[in-house]
Amino acid sequence: MAASRVVVVKAAGAWTPSGAPDATAIARMFARGFALLTGEGSPAAAAASLFRPDDRVGIKVNTIGGRALSTRPEVALSLAAWVAGGGLPEKNIVVWDRTTRELREAGYAPGDGKAGVRILGTDADGVGYGPDLVSHLGVGSLFSRIQTGYVTASISLAVLKDHGLAGVTAGMKNYFGAIHNPNKYHDSGCDPYVAEVFDAPPVKSRHRLTVLDAMTVQFHRGPSFHARWAAKFGGFVFGLDPVAVDSVGWTIIERLRAGAGLQTLEVEGRAPKYLATAVNMGLGRSDPAAIELIEESLA
Amino acid sequence: MNRRSFLRGTAGAGLALSAGLPSLCARLAAEDGGPDARVEARHYVKLADREIECRLCPRLCRLGDKERGYCGVRENVGGTYYTLVYGKVCSLNVDPIEKKPFFHVLPGTTALSLATAGCNVNCKFCQNWEISQARPEQVETIDLSPEAAAARAADARCPSIAYTYTEPTVFFEYMVDTAARARQNGIRNVVVTGGHINAEPLAELLSVVDAVKVDLKGFTQDFYTRYVRGELGPVLETIRAVARSKAWLEIVYLVIPTLNDRMDLIREMARWVRSEAGADVPLHFSRFHPMYLVKNLPPTPVSTLEAARRAALEEGLRFVYVGNVPGHEAEDTNCPGCGTTVVARTAYRIDAVRIDKGKCEKCGTLIPGLWT
Repeated sequence: MAASRVVVVKAAGAWTPSGAPDATAIARMFARGFALLTGEGSPAAAAASLFRPDDRVGIKVNTIGGRALSTRPEVALSLAAWVAGGGLPEKNIVVWDRTTRELREAGYAPGDGKAGVRILGTDADGVGYGPDLVSHLGVGSLFSRIQTGYVTASISLAVLKDHGLAGVTAGMKNYFGAIHNPNKYHDSGCDPYVAEVFDAPPVKSRHRLTVLDAMTVQFHRGPSFHARWAAKFGGFVFGLDPVAVDSVGWTIIERLRAGAGLQTLEVEGRAPKYLATAVNMGLGRSDPAAIELIEESLA
Repeated sequence: MNRRSFLRGTAGAGLALSAGLPSLCARLAAEDGGPDARVEARHYVKLADREIECRLCPRLCRLGDKERGYCGVRENVGGTYYTLVYGKVCSLNVDPIEKKPFFHVLPGTTALSLATAGCNVNCKFCQNWEISQARPEQVETIDLSPEAAAARAADARCPSIAYTYTEPTVFFEYMVDTAARARQNGIRNVVVTGGHINAEPLAELLSVVDAVKVDLKGFTQDFYTRYVRGELGPVLETIRAVARSKAWLEIVYLVIPTLNDRMDLIREMARWVRSEAGADVPLHFSRFHPMYLVKNLPPTPVSTLEAARRAALEEGLRFVYVGNVPGHEAEDTNCPGCGTTVVARTAYRIDAVRIDKGKCEKCGTLIPGLWT
């Protein structure tokens, strides 16, 4: 079995001198990251290798952290543009999260987006949660209708963060934002719940790609924003194996923690044990020997 | 906004709003950002870096900025902890008090029964999961201040207000304020709880309520871990504390086939109740019906409930009932002195009350309870 490829791309110019994300640099990182991930020479070919023209693509962002620590609109819209470049109509792309309020607070302008990419909270009129309780392993939840009733292909575009309970929150845990009762699944380091929510049919059957927004990485005292422990990492992590991507995300957090003189999550008793559970459930791989890690820094 | 669509998506979500309340449109217009949308929570401590620790229930949720507790209805906003459900009632009914069930409290009367969203456990067999396991923004609500709740109870000629349906502990501030206000108006307050509450808030609660019904959901920690996602120990502590207080105590044990119906454990539980709470505490063995995440089990055989009742009586409890079996003879209250049926019930209907000044009309034996 081929190793799970995970690509980490950083750019020196990811941040403008004024401290804003640089849209051009973001687009370059996406182009390079997807080229390395898919092996396709052009952005269009890379996107077309992952999504069909008739797909309806959901980009699940994470906007609980406000403007300081959410998936940035520049990032989500750049990703949407890349997806559309593969031949998919923009109207078939929805950038979404739990609530309109959180999207707004993170800088998005939710609306119907009739002419292009839609930005939508699950709480928007006419959306809501699906009528059927999904009972899967230890999870019993209603899932967002965006995930269950609209999307055919799902991208988890999560922010890479330390998490006081889970250890790390990244691509898999981002789907906690697709269920109506995430507060019920934070016991025991969110284990096995992160893996079980991901394994539930509404997610597993649609998930196609993970991208970690590591422009800013909260490497300690997350998931809330604390400037003291937030690094302007200026990069993204790409992968098709959700466990491998999150495992690499964990190593990035550990590197930043070490650089700041902090103990490892393991020592703090907060290692993301749900990753091992996910491996055991066959959702992906976390062993470094089973991951083909490609790291590149753009000038 | 979303509540209508949420409700459309969860038809039959268990919302039960009395007639005569403001229209749905008016309610929706008043929600989200209306007055008292957030009220600072009680029983929490502020920690460094805008973190807080909730001290309301045994979970002791430690939360960063923008995070909510396990209950889903209390949120840390910039280092201050707020309840999001103060006065945000999602279920409001006038119920027979027997429905709670309270069998030794004001029989034949009605209780204004209310709830907000949220719960601090996650029972796999929850009968009201559509509201108990939801967040406040996911359910339809009305704004009902403590004063308005007390007034509504009086208008409906309810001598009591019942805090019920979900887990009242999670709307602690609203419950305590409402109970205090209702008490000023001569209205009693009864609480239906799973008992997951810390000692300090419980003491505060007991100072303003008249009766507490505790759902003892099992009698092993393993059961609480696997099916309740909670701790048994704190529930037992709550039962002890209520028994020591001036508030009236009743206990319900939902008997679920194969999960918590071992007779040796039921007998052990009954012995514990007698030892720690007293022989006069009414114990209700209630019938399970498949629900929520436990749909693969049949309803509890009536014979199992009867066996449990016999065991509890043999262990010395004096008032043991069978619940959710309308018309069963064990719905009645019998005088432990002469055997006379002092309260005759059929489901929630009271057929006869033969208690005078708290005593059996026939033999004068004291029948413990809150009768007038």
